[in-house]
Order: sequence, then structure tokens, then C-alpha cells
Amino acid sequence: MRHALVSYPDVALGVECAFPPPEGALRHRAGRVRRLARAGLGFLVAALLVAGLWQVGNGAYIHAKAELAQILLAHAWNRTLAGERHARPWPWADTWPVARLSMPSRGVELFVLAGANGRTIAFGPGHVFGTPLPGETGNSAIGGHRDTHLAFLRDVALGDEIVVERPDRRLQRYRVDWLQVLDKRETWVLKNEGPTRLTLITCYPFDAIRAGGAERYVVTARAQDGLL
Amino acid sequence: MLIAVRPTRAQRRAADVVARIVLSLSAAAMAVVGVSMLLALIAGDAGAAEAAPMKPKDAQTGTLFLKSGAGTNLAVPLVTTDVDIRVSGTVARARVRQVFRNPNDDWYEGIYVFPLPENAAVDHVRIRIRDRVIEGEIKERQAAKAAYEQAKASGQRAALLEQERPNMFTSSVANIGPHEEITVELEYQQTLRYDGGRYSLRFPTVVGPRYIPGSPVAAPLPTAWAQATDQVPDAPRITPPVLRPVEGAKPVNPVNIRVVLDAGVPLATVASAYHAIDVRELDAGRREVVLKETAHATRDFELVWTVMPDRAPKLALFTEEREGKSYALLMLMPPALATSAPRLPREVIFVIDTSGSMHGTSIAQAKEALELAVRRLDPADRFNIIEFNSYAQPMFAAARPATAENREQATRWVRNLRAQGGTEMAAALNLALNGRESPDRVRQVVFLTDGAVGNEDALFKLIAERLGDSRLFTVGIGSAPNSHFMSKAARVGRGTFTYIGKVEEVKERMSELFAKLESPVLKNVRVEWPGGDRVETWPKRVPDLYLGEPIVVTAALDRTDGDVVVSGFLGESPWRAHLPMSRASDGEGIGVLWAREKVAALVDSLREGSPEAEVRAQVIDLATAHRLVTRYTSFVAVEQPRARPADAALKQAAVPTNLSEGWSYDAVFGELPQGATDAWFNALIGSLLLAMAAIALAARRRLSFAPVRAHP
Repeated sequence: MRHALVSYPDVALGVECAFPPPEGALRHRAGRVRRLARAGLGFLVAALLVAGLWQVGNGAYIHAKAELAQILLAHAWNRTLAGERHARPWPWADTWPVARLSMPSRGVELFVLAGANGRTIAFGPGHVFGTPLPGETGNSAIGGHRDTHLAFLRDVALGDEIVVERPDRRLQRYRVDWLQVLDKRETWVLKNEGPTRLTLITCYPFDAIRAGGAERYVVTARAQDGLL
Repeated sequence: MLIAVRPTRAQRRAADVVARIVLSLSAAAMAVVGVSMLLALIAGDAGAAEAAPMKPKDAQTGTLFLKSGAGTNLAVPLVTTDVDIRVSGTVARARVRQVFRNPNDDWYEGIYVFPLPENAAVDHVRIRIRDRVIEGEIKERQAAKAAYEQAKASGQRAALLEQERPNMFTSSVANIGPHEEITVELEYQQTLRYDGGRYSLRFPTVVGPRYIPGSPVAAPLPTAWAQATDQVPDAPRITPPVLRPVEGAKPVNPVNIRVVLDAGVPLATVASAYHAIDVRELDAGRREVVLKETAHATRDFELVWTVMPDRAPKLALFTEEREGKSYALLMLMPPALATSAPRLPREVIFVIDTSGSMHGTSIAQAKEALELAVRRLDPADRFNIIEFNSYAQPMFAAARPATAENREQATRWVRNLRAQGGTEMAAALNLALNGRESPDRVRQVVFLTDGAVGNEDALFKLIAERLGDSRLFTVGIGSAPNSHFMSKAARVGRGTFTYIGKVEEVKERMSELFAKLESPVLKNVRVEWPGGDRVETWPKRVPDLYLGEPIVVTAALDRTDGDVVVSGFLGESPWRAHLPMSRASDGEGIGVLWAREKVAALVDSLREGSPEAEVRAQVIDLATAHRLVTRYTSFVAVEQPRARPADAALKQAAVPTNLSEGWSYDAVFGELPQGATDAWFNALIGSLLLAMAAIALAARRRLSFAPVRAHP
């Protein structure tokens, strides 16, 4: 079989050649090379297509997941406000909303999840365990992705107002008073000292193409007045 | 294939069918792989895209152990260390027993990374299993490893002792049975430090987490918290898992230390700054020292003693006959000469390490020392301060006169320093050392650090290249500084080193350092042994000596009669001493000390470009003859009968280490949450791939319709 395939130049892997098969050994070879090249390119096209679609799908999936989760979280938040503890947004979730964070001037509304590990913040900004819950006294830290939920931090300016709703429906207003770029090891910003504030942490620079950089953009907003 | 065979029509059709089938099958296979990867990704949910490339500081294993609390319930072998040290004059011989205990029902291999003094010459290793003793053999490192692996695989109890750094070793013990104990016993010899009238014996107990610069080049291993990087290829070997300290829980790895001290002359004081000790007087010059209570491997043990002032030794000369050769160790205290050399103006550059490992008590000590140093400057001097962590930053763009105003500004600047981030030491050294010579002033660089880095050799090379006529003085800060870095950096930088282990010591240690900086140096020291050129002395060139430091050299000789002649320049005044060899007394293990010095010199020559193959061969020869553990030779001990049944599996675990005392786990390993996805990267790569697919498709079409060019 193999012998027949390689020695006959006319069978062009399923597509007939436009020209009649030339005679002579050299021409046979040229045809064979061309056919192999075509087969190779066929494989290449298929492989590139699959890999390309996979990558694009992957990128789209990250954003779709981020958006969709917030919708499911809105429902879970309503249940939380109604008194349910640890209201899971979907049955197998290992996290739950702990606060609603909004920025009326920029049309931002986000549900903050418990925990700021990589798994959680795919769905929403995450509250850093060990720091006071948003809306409580002390330094509440929240981490999130710079290209999904916390992308708006790029445009936040000093003096902007952030409002946090707690599970008991009470509101706390904050005013942005510090914007800084820090190294990821500067964990002192998580220290629970000083005035009551929100510390929002995301990756920096905002338009870096890869994840995993060493810099963080940290926005601090100080609590205004008391709870409403 | 040049013979054209005209196939039949049936053959053509069959070939066509086969080709179609092959192509469609492979396309289908690829599609299946692609789709299943996508599905796996969605099902996994965490999403590969969100997993950032691991940085060496990520401490994956450290966090794994963190979950187990502080030690007692760890499913890994643990180690108890018993240390017995005999001191005679300026030489110490130590026996260290590491008891590996397996608390589990499984068979285990335990791997323990531990420190020893940086000049320790390890010349004996044996293992004890109940009442059996198996002596270790010295072998070339790879051969020793192979012998160990073979024994491990065939179920024999075995131990391997390897050197990672001159002050860091790994013992591996294979086939520790369920609830069994195996003891690794090693012995080493070292010369002690004698400086400013004080002898000191330092025994480190824990390897502090080292900063690993560079980008990862290998996958993470379960036995280490750092991956190999382009700058530290052996990172996994020097980063044992670190337990997160839990309040109220005891650290792991208990240590007992006993020292029998024989000063040879009546003793004045014996003290331990960091551990409570019981001292028993045996006679005027001898003491037995034990720890009041069992310590844990969290900080260096240091024993310091002085002898009666009028009996302070000016000279110690030991010789040992070994296999037809004589070895000698000479320690000589140069006289304190009054000199009246004109004092040159100084330029002092302080470098302070403000990395995460310095967080806590270390930075407090370093700041205190720095403030004191700045206050002591003379207005005629110039100075600058450089702080470094992930980045290096000078206080002034260039050194400024030490006016009251500038000193005041410096003090404020120092007070505001915070310890966090990485330890990019090369950046700081590049700023501090400029490679220049300027004969009109003395340039001194005072480097305050814990030396917690994994790329020592690269840093030594940098110091050698950029030193110029500057001198580098290291100040080892904290509970467990890297002694190899401190002493070798100072040696390469032609300065000296000092240690500060707690805030209370700052004043005294810094005053001593300043006295050294301000006093003339003993230079061009030459030691001529009887026997001339046939004598091999190490170190070959005696380093410059600062106030209070003795000359220490070792030699291999043919004859032990005649005089040793020592000469040098103290400032501008020549100095010379004749010492009759007849004054020498017999010493033990002097040959080993000589071999250890020679190994160090050979390894140092790598920095000056000696070919590694040559150095390696010489070190292996020397180390084999003297039974020394070096970077190229290890000890291996194997018990003959098979212990582990063929059907029992062997598990492997790294013995967890404590965080060095006073360190902050979060400052070393902690970091802010990550906040970025690879979505845009995926989209970009995906689009590129799709574009390439389109190009390939177009090319394929062209190929389909293009005519085959006819050959003439």
C-alpha cells in the first residue's frame, strides 16, 4: 500500500491535481514533495485552529465567568440581606458574598466574596481573610483582578466616593485618599492599624499582557462619618 | 524510489482512501484533544490562566506545612541534635549527633538541611542503628549519591552527607522503619575566632530562609520552598520547608549542646549571650558548659571567653605528624604598636539590608547600629547610606561631608526605613563599590545584613571585581546570620566582619568595629617556614589584619626544626618576629585544618577563572586523602542487610525547619493577593494562532493549484 501511495504522484491526498501527472522519476519526486507539504500544512492549519480557538475561548471564558458570577452573586446577596448566612451563589461554591461595594459616580456595583485566593477572585473581588470585614471598624482589605472586576481602579481619583453595604443593610461611605504602586511583598498595607478604611489591591500595571507581575496597585479609602 | 512503478487503478483508489482516512483520523484526534483540554479547564474552574508563574518567594511547601500547625502532628521524620564540643586553645573538635525519628507507620527517607560553622572540616560520618555502627566512606559526590540511591532502592538503611555551602549541609537518611530511630553522627574540626582578646565559638542551628534571585528554570519540588533559578541552580537544595510559628507552640528540632573548654591558661570569663548556660569549673583553665535547658534550632549558639589578661597568648603553634608529613598551625598576635601615621580623611558608605528577612528584631539592631555609626563620624569624613531590598536606593546621590546637619538628616532617614521585600544584594554592591582607586582618602563600606541569600558565589565575584581600593566590612545581623557570606565577603573585600545578635550588643560591637576602622592595618604579612619552597602554606596570602586580629596560617612541611619568620607592615612601620619551631606542641587534626584551608583556596580560585575540571580533580584528591566533605565529595554509609520489606513503599520527606528567631514569617513569605488574569494574553495568543492558521490555509491552497514546474 505504502509503495503505491508514494510512487504515484496523481493521488494528491483527496484532491485531484489540476494538471495531468507528468512523466519521469524526477517529476514523480516533485509531486511527492508537494503532496507531503500539503499534508503537513493541513495538519498545521488544524493544529493552529484548535490552539487558537482554545486560547481565544480561554480568554473569553475568564471574562464570561467574571460577569456571570456577579449576576449569580446578586441573588445570593439578596438572600444574605434576608438573613441567610454564607449564602452560596451556586451549590458547589466555596465562597459567599460578604459585602456590596459600589461607586455611584462610576456606575460600579460589585459583590465582594469571602477570601482573596486565585480561585475566588475569578468570580468577584475577594475580602482578604484576617482583615476586618468591609464596613467594619479597622483596615478591610479587598483583592481583585485588574482586568475584570477591579479594572475601574485605573480611573479612580483621590476624593472619589465608595459605598459599602453590609449584610445587615447598613451602609458605610469611604473617600479615596491614597493611590500607590507597591511591591507584592509589602504586606504592611494589610496591617490592621490606624483609621477605618478600605484597602483595594489589584495587579499593576493595568495594561500588562501577562498575569503574575510583582507590582500591586493599592487604593486606600478612608471611612467617612459613621454607619448609615 | 527512483524506479517509477505504474500502479493499477485499484491501487490508486485504495491509496486515496487510506490517505483520506489517515487525515480525518488525525484531525479528529486533534479536535478531541483540544475540546477535552477546554473541558478540563472549565471543569477545573480555577483556570490555568489564573495560575501565575511561581516566583521563588512563593513558599508553596512552607504553606503546606503551615496547615499542620507547629510540628507535633507532622507526618515527617523529625530530628533531635546533640552537640559535644571539645575546645583546646584555638581549636575545636565537635561531634554532632542527629537523631532521625520516624513517627509514622510507613517507611521514610528523611532529608535534613542544617548549618555548621563556615570553617568546619567534616572528617567523620557514621550511622548508628540501635547498637550497630556503620562508618561512612568519603566518595566523589556523584558516586556517593549513586551508592546511596542504590542502597535506598534496595531497602538498605543508609545515610548521605553532602555539602551545599561551606556552612550548609544536607543529611539524607533512607529506610527509616516505622517508629524507628537512626542516628547520623558527624565530627568536624575548626579553628576558633580570636579577636580583640575574646575567643568565640559559634554553633549555628538553623538555616534561615534565603532569598533566591533569578527566574525559575525548573518545576517546584515537594522538599523545598524555592525552585531552581537561573541565578541559583541549586535553590531547592538550600531552601528546606519552613514552619510558620504558631503562638504558644514549641518549635521543632530540639538541640542540646555541651562544651568542654580547655583554654590552656587560666580563664577570666565564660559567657553565652543568647542561651542560658550552666558552667562547671574543672580547674583554672578548664570549664564544662551545658545549656540550662534544651534549646530549639532557631538561632546560633555563641560561647565567648577571655583569659587572664597577663596570660593572654601571643603565640600558638601546633604540629601534627601524619603519614610521613608534618602539618603546622600558627596563630600569632601582632604587637600593638603606637603609630603616628597622618590620618587620611575617610569616606564611609553604609549599606543596610531592608529586606523581608530583616523584619522584626534584625532591622531594629541594624538601625541602632547605623545610627550609632553615623553619630561617630567626624565632620572631616564623607559618608552616604544605601538601603536595599528588591531595589537599592542611596540616601544622597553622592557621598557628603558628615556635617551635623547631614548626620541629622541621615538619622531621620534611617529611622524611617522599613524592612520588606527581596534581597537584591548585587544592586546594592554595585552602588556601594565603584572599582575606583583614590589615594587621597580611605574608602570603607560597612555592610549591615543577615546575608540571607542563595547566590553567594556571584556576589563574591562582584565584590572582587568592583572593590578597587575600597574595603568591605560586614556586620552580621540577627539570630542566624549566614556566616559563610559574612566571613568570605569580608575576606574578598579585604575588610573584616563582626556579629550583632541582639540590640544590647550593638554599642559594644560597633565600637570595636570603629576602633578597627580607625586603627592602622597590618599589611603585607609574610610567613616563612623552615624548608623554603617545599612548604605549602594556606592561606597563601595572609589577609590584611585589623586591630585585635591574629595571624592564622596552616602549613604542610618536611621538617620541623629551625625558625618560622613572620614579617609585615603595621601602618608604615615594619615588624618582624622569629619563632623557633621547637616551641610547637602536638596538636590533633592539624592536617585536616590544613586540607580544609587548601580546599577553600582552590574553590576561591574558581572566581579568578581557574578551570573547574582542574579544581574539582584537585579538591577530590585532597578531600579523599583527608576524608573531608567538600562541594565535590560526600560521605555515604550503608548498612549491609536489607531492612525494608520488598512490598513496603518508601516515602520521602524534608525535615521542616523553624523560622529563625525574631524573624517574621509574613515578611519573608507573605505577599499581597494577586490581581490579574491572563485573559488578554490568551486572546492575543489565540488571535495570533488563528492568523497563522489562515496563512497556512492560504499556503496550502496555493500549493494545491500551483503547477509543478517541469524540469528541462
